[in-house]
Amino acid sequence: MTVTFDTYVPGSSLLHRLDPRVKLWATLLGLMAAFMLPGLGAQALFLAGIHLLLVAAGIPWRRLGNLWRQMAILVILILILQPFLRPVGREVFTLGPLQLTVGGMLDALRLALRALAIAFVVAALLYTTSQPALVSAMVRLGLPYPWGLTVSLALRFLPAIQDLYHTVRDAQAARGWVAEGPLFRRLKEHLPVLVAVMIGTLRMSDQLTLALAARGLETTRQRTTWRALRMERRDWGIALAATLAFCLFAWWQFAN
Amino acid sequence: MIRAHDVTFAYAARLPGEHPQPVLTGCSLELGSGRALAVMGPTGAGKSTLSYVLAGLAPRHTGGTLSGTISIAGRDLHDGPPEIGSVGLLFQDAATQLFTTTVEDEVAWGLEAMGLAPEEIGRRVEASLTHFELTTVRHRAPWALSGGQQKRLALAALWAMRPGVLLLDEPLGGLDPEGCAEVLAAVDSLREAGTTLLIMTLHPETAHQAGTVALLADGQVSPAMPWKALAKQETALIQTGLLLPRRLWPDLGPRGGDGNAPAIEIKDVHFGYPGEAEVLHGIDLTVRTGQFVALVGRNGAGKSTLVRHLNGLLRPRSGTVSILGQPLAGRAAGTIARQVGFLFQRPEQQLFSPTVRDEIAYGPMRLGLNDVQARVDGVLERFGLQDVADVPPALLGYGAQRTVTLAVLAALATPIVVLDEPTVGLDGRGLAQLLAWLAERREQGVTIVLVTHDLDLAACADRAITLDAGAVIADGPPAAVIGGCA
Repeated sequence: MTVTFDTYVPGSSLLHRLDPRVKLWATLLGLMAAFMLPGLGAQALFLAGIHLLLVAAGIPWRRLGNLWRQMAILVILILILQPFLRPVGREVFTLGPLQLTVGGMLDALRLALRALAIAFVVAALLYTTSQPALVSAMVRLGLPYPWGLTVSLALRFLPAIQDLYHTVRDAQAARGWVAEGPLFRRLKEHLPVLVAVMIGTLRMSDQLTLALAARGLETTRQRTTWRALRMERRDWGIALAATLAFCLFAWWQFAN
Repeated sequence: MIRAHDVTFAYAARLPGEHPQPVLTGCSLELGSGRALAVMGPTGAGKSTLSYVLAGLAPRHTGGTLSGTISIAGRDLHDGPPEIGSVGLLFQDAATQLFTTTVEDEVAWGLEAMGLAPEEIGRRVEASLTHFELTTVRHRAPWALSGGQQKRLALAALWAMRPGVLLLDEPLGGLDPEGCAEVLAAVDSLREAGTTLLIMTLHPETAHQAGTVALLADGQVSPAMPWKALAKQETALIQTGLLLPRRLWPDLGPRGGDGNAPAIEIKDVHFGYPGEAEVLHGIDLTVRTGQFVALVGRNGAGKSTLVRHLNGLLRPRSGTVSILGQPLAGRAAGTIARQVGFLFQRPEQQLFSPTVRDEIAYGPMRLGLNDVQARVDGVLERFGLQDVADVPPALLGYGAQRTVTLAVLAALATPIVVLDEPTVGLDGRGLAQLLAWLAERREQGVTIVLVTHDLDLAACADRAITLDAGAVIADGPPAAVIGGCA
């Protein structure tokens, strides 16, 4: 089983069709908003809003559930540990140096909601934007092409390296390797696997160097872009609306 | 179009203190515009190296030293690499040369590098996808395609750049018969369109395609000759290690064994990868001790998936697998290795030890066998690996790596061996080695399960089984089964 690093859910919703640069910008605003939201109610509302947005974009509930599951450990850790780190407000009980307070618990809840909001804002970008679109947006926003290429090559080859790891593990198991014994020994047994994966990866990168060179990576000509990103009126409109909404929210936030 | 004169190339030494490794020694070659030539050579003869040198990649990106003169697509390589897009190279391993995230982006990449206008890129992408019949998969990820599709995509990406010369390195390597047919048709269309083609291959069928053939052996290319003239020199082809005609195969013939105790029992096995649809739909099979079973069927039929159940690498969703009367459920794959030896595809990805000797000793040591040293020495000698016993297997050539994987399997001396596509990419010499070892196993009553597309080999088995879409659709004597499906 290969875990692909592609979280993209194909679709043709408005969110899918939006220029990726606008989505990057909106994500940035969303992240700032997640940090600035004042109360629990506003945070919960914000989180619910993003859920609505994702569902409207055709992201299946199952995917959202998966993200909740992935975030669960972090949320639980925050809820358990945070109250004791900053005890404020009315005291509930004290156990030695540990003090549980109502203020501390509310604080923890706020922090947990913020973590969830951040996760879902980023998910809204990654679930509705394909990797090539994301990379080309970053290149268009000023990331040098070799960096953009590096990012997409990494996305392309990470699953291949993972496959390689499984191949080596299978080859070892087929020759009598069994995962047992103390942790240290198991780690030591792992060393040959990592060496083999490293050699395989180097081999792959050698081939890749040749393949890139053979198709003209080093040419001195100016690269063109086949599908240049073009901002439609709708893209401008949404970028403007998101910016205005954020400014309004920030003004209201600081005015109070 | 291609003119190479007195070309000598050597890679830098692999290990400090060693000599550089010469691959080509005074190689000359000439190929006119619009012509096709196949360069045939056994494994390790330097076919890939020759294609790198001609494409201007070696020594620029590989290291090593080059002498002689080469002119290709109107460019003298002394003056620098060929103009972008003028020389296309199809790599042996198609997957590593596909590096973008969708099929159409793959075709567009080189055109963008050429600096073409977007409209022109769009036109050429369309034309190329249509020509190589890839329009239906245009939004898919290149690495999710079948082997034949990957090769066609690589060709499409090269062809879109309108190269004057195409160098094809083992274009049919690693493909199933269906993929071979697809790629052969694509190559044929290039030939008809007047592209200058240089095809490196060890397979006579591929060389036949070009019509004109030259032999690459001992670092030199023979003068080109018509395919028919070369086909007459069978002895020479056998001697260079390219060919092993059917009549020279050792006797693997049927031995029956129908009354023996079962070695492998598969009962109503269903399997699917977690979270995915079922790929094996209730397989029932019994293989008797000492039987030689060939498993055939098209790519994706579930052959590799099924045999991976025999040593516990995969576990059924439901149903049971028993080896020598013992159910496998609850046993780690590592403990089953005592009974079932497994030969995987892609040898270069399964060698992980610092020396060949350690590589061979790994299995017997893991299994706690008591005569490790004697076994390793015996196997090193049996496969003629004494000279490289202390060399890291990762540094060996492809042919030698294949030998090491066979030696690794031999050292385990298991009563059952499972081989997944063992003949893919083997030249005549490698095939002779494999068949000789299989014949020995047969002598000793070892149970053999072999996944293969090679119908000649399958015909030698006691029994052939055809798998299709995760189910057994034919099972019986090879003559009946293969005759029925071919």
